[in-house]
Parts: sequence; C-alpha cells; structure tokens
Amino acid sequence: MAEQAIVRPTFAARYRKILLGGFAVILFFAAWQAIFLFVPFNPLFISKPSLIAAGLVDLIGSGDLFHDLAVSAVPFFIGLAAAVIVGVPLGIVMGWRPRVGYALDPLMTVFYASPLVALAPLLVIFFGVGVSGKAVIVFVLAVFPFIFNAHAGVRAVDQLLINVVRSLGGGEWDLYRMVIFPSVLPYIVASSRIAVGRALIAVLVGEFFAASEGIGYAISRFGDIFALDRMFGCILVVMVIAVVLTEGIRWAERAAFPWRTRQ
Amino acid sequence: MAETQTLDARVAALGGADAAPHRSLWRRIEPAAWGAGSFLVLLLVWQFVPYFVPLKPGTRLFFTVPSRVAATLWQMIVSGSLWAPLGVSATAFAIGLAIAIVVGLPLGILIGRSSLLNAMFDPFITAFNATPRLVFLPLLMLWLGIGLWSKVAIVFIGALFPLLINTYEGVRNGDKLLINVVRSFGAKEWDIARLVVVPNALPFIVVGLRLAIGRAVLGVVVSEFFGSQEGLGVVMVRAASGFQVDVVFAGLIVFAGLSLLMTGLVKLVEDRMTRWRPEHVNAP
Repeated sequence: MAEQAIVRPTFAARYRKILLGGFAVILFFAAWQAIFLFVPFNPLFISKPSLIAAGLVDLIGSGDLFHDLAVSAVPFFIGLAAAVIVGVPLGIVMGWRPRVGYALDPLMTVFYASPLVALAPLLVIFFGVGVSGKAVIVFVLAVFPFIFNAHAGVRAVDQLLINVVRSLGGGEWDLYRMVIFPSVLPYIVASSRIAVGRALIAVLVGEFFAASEGIGYAISRFGDIFALDRMFGCILVVMVIAVVLTEGIRWAERAAFPWRTRQ
Repeated sequence: MAETQTLDARVAALGGADAAPHRSLWRRIEPAAWGAGSFLVLLLVWQFVPYFVPLKPGTRLFFTVPSRVAATLWQMIVSGSLWAPLGVSATAFAIGLAIAIVVGLPLGILIGRSSLLNAMFDPFITAFNATPRLVFLPLLMLWLGIGLWSKVAIVFIGALFPLLINTYEGVRNGDKLLINVVRSFGAKEWDIARLVVVPNALPFIVVGLRLAIGRAVLGVVVSEFFGSQEGLGVVMVRAASGFQVDVVFAGLIVFAGLSLLMTGLVKLVEDRMTRWRPEHVNAP
C-alpha cells in the first residue's frame, strides 16, 4: 500500500503495469491450455489455444480471414463516413442555433435512448442483405454519438474567441471555420471512439441476420458447424480489431489534443 | 394553461435568486415548445406521407403510419399479447442485470483498491469492454442453448463493464486524506471500504448503473433477435419477416419507453446524490 503515496506514476510504475498485464494474459492462455490435462476435452463445445492458433494460421493462409474482413470493412467504413458527414454538421448547427437545438434535442435523445438495433430486421429486409443494408444499420447506430458530441462541443466554445473574430469583422462562415470547428474537433474524435464500437455491433447484427460472407457470418457459420477452433479464432480477431480501433483513437486523442487528456 | 402558469410562478418563487423575474412566459417555455413542436411535425409528416407521395406497392409493404402503430400497440396491450413476451424479456433483463451488479461492484472495488489486481485485470477489461459482446452470442448459444440463459449471459456481459469501470473510477476518486484518517484510527480494509470508499463512489456507481441499463436493454433485444424462441424481440423479428411493420414499431416503442423510464428514474437518484457537488452548480 506504500506505493499509493507516489502521486505521479514513475516510468518504473508504468513498466510494472504493462509487465503485470502481459503476465496475466499469458497466464490466462496457459491456464486455458493446461486445464485440459485434467478435464476431458470436448472439441464440440470448447477449444484450446493451440488448436485456435492452428485454426487461425489456416484461415490466414487460405486467405479466407482477410476476405471476410475486407467484406465486413466496406459497409463499416461507408456507414461510419456517412455518420460523420451527417452527424457532425447537424450537431454543430444544433449547438450554434439555439432554436434548432431546442427542436431537435428531445427527438435525438429519444432516438439515442431507444434500442435502434430493433430496426435492423426491417432495414435488412428493406435495403437488402448486401453492403447497403449493413451500411444503413452502421449509419443508424453510429450517427448519434457524433451529433451529441458535436452539440456539446459547440456549447463549450470559448465566447471570447467568438467575440474576437466578430470584432475583427469575421462573418458567420469565419466563425465556423476559425473558432467552432477547431474547438469541436476534440469532441468529434472522442465520439468516434464510441461510434466505432456501435458500428462494430451494427456490422455483426447485419451479418448475423443474413449474409453470405463477412466476419460476423464466419463466426456464426463456424458455430453452426461446431468448428470451435476457427470460431474462437475469428472472435479473437474481432476482439483485437476492436481494441486496436478504440485504443488507437484514444492514443490519437492524447497525441493530438494533449490538453484534454485529464478531464 | 392557467395552472401551468401558477405552477411555474411557484417554481420560480422556490428557485429564488436564479429565477430571473423579467423572463416572459414564452422565454421559459420556448425550449419545450420547440421540442414538442418538432415531435408533432415529425408525426404529422409521417402520418400524411402516403397522401402526398405515391408509394409503390413494394414500398407500401414496409410502410406504416403512426396512427396504425398506436392502434397496434393499443391492441397488443388490450388483448394481452404484449405481456407474455415482455415478461420473458424482462426476466432475462432482470437476472442479467442483477448478476452484473453482484459481480461488478465488489470486483470494481477490489480492482480500485489493489494496484496489483488492477494491472492484471486491465488488459481483459479493456479487451472485453471494447469488443461488441454480440460476437460471443454464437458461442453462448452453443454453451447455454437458445433459452433464457444465453440471453442472461449477453445482458450480463453488456451490463458488467459500465458498472465495473464506473465503480473502479469512483473508488480511485476516493479522498486519500479520509482513507488515511480512518486507517490511523485502526480501520481494516473492510472498514475503509464501508466508511469511505463506497459512499464516495456511490454517485459514480449510479452513473454506471444508468449506462448498464441501456446496454442491458440492448442486450435483450439483440440476443432475442438471433438466439431465442420467445420474448418481445422474437415477436418483432417474426413480425418483420411477415411484413407487419406496425408490430415492429410497437415493440420498438415499448423497449424505448421502458429504457427511457428506467434511465430516467436512475437519473433522478443521480441528481439527488450529486446535488451537493460543486460542479453540479454549473451544469445546465
């Protein structure tokens, strides 16, 4: 308990954390592998790390994994891009024009709070099982974090800066370009972290419903044929992608907006 | 209208200093009026779209109007066809959320108090929190079948992490001075948790609970879409494939209403708890 007296984490303390974390992960996989020395192993219901690794190597070697990932990535990025293009301007206008904010804020809150995934069956039937259906689900789930964060970002804009631009003769467009957008940017990056998580859910929902390829389809198909090693492999791949995306954005936030790191 | 005015006047009187006397009635109700107006406009436009835009027969299959959704919802409530599936969904929700609370709070406190456990659990928490829990659904269906328990498991995984992470943050936020004072008076770790850490973390925990409820509702919906035989989500999927669009929307309204109701109640508790906090003064 003595370590708690150190307020600022030293380099050694951070090093210790990474070491311990890595050790825990290795321990977890080792225990997973070792437990089947004592417990009978049923490949229909559980797999072990050695088999999962072999299955993954197999999937990578045959190119199936990258094909499925590429198929899933297309609607993911299209939907996310559409969410940014629609959500950010809408949020900015809602924050900057009070009446638009009054009118749309309750509506957006209700949409955001309701489990919009529930519309997925309709969207899939309406837009088809291809790229467009999935992209629309991604858009519907991912757009709200952008709207709300852009809205919050505009309301946090420094009034002084606005007054300065106005006194120097700046118009409405100059305000957007020079003050509002730069100060909203950190909020947008923060919201993209949330949106990416929701977009991943959306892609999986779309592919579980109806698809013939894609990583979500691969997981449910390997489950259906009891190929547990490959199924675990694909699940691990999705986990790694999710961690890399969210932690990558977190890292970018720290690198680009260091003044916001500690809220 | 007159009643609203007197009520507003009384609220203003109670509010004292921060209620500006010169603000007219319109200024005070303007945000609410715009909000209600936009709802009304949306509903009206939606209702009257079929009168202005000629719909192709194919599109009409997917189209419904608010009045029909309302009628369907009312029909489901009156005939009782809503309650049995809703009960099934609510059971999975309640059990999953309860297990998440029972596991999440102690684990969060433990991880918050011990830097060793914190370092060791951190990779797993980060990984499971970032991963869409839906990815585990096929696996859970294999293990637990397509009944109640795979739903409970999805709800549990979804609700656990907001609770765990918020509890952890709340514990870390604990006042070191208070902990040291209690410890100098001979308190054990259990007393520290009971007297300082948990009361201090409570507002954080309540926020975590609010997030957890949202995720739990989502978990119920999603798991019923793919791996279930009964429940409101199942009713919605069957309706969607039978082109009964109004049933889908009625189900969505029920889920959204319950979600808003529960998070609203927790928000009330949250506001009561955080009222004394200085930063709350600046909040809108």
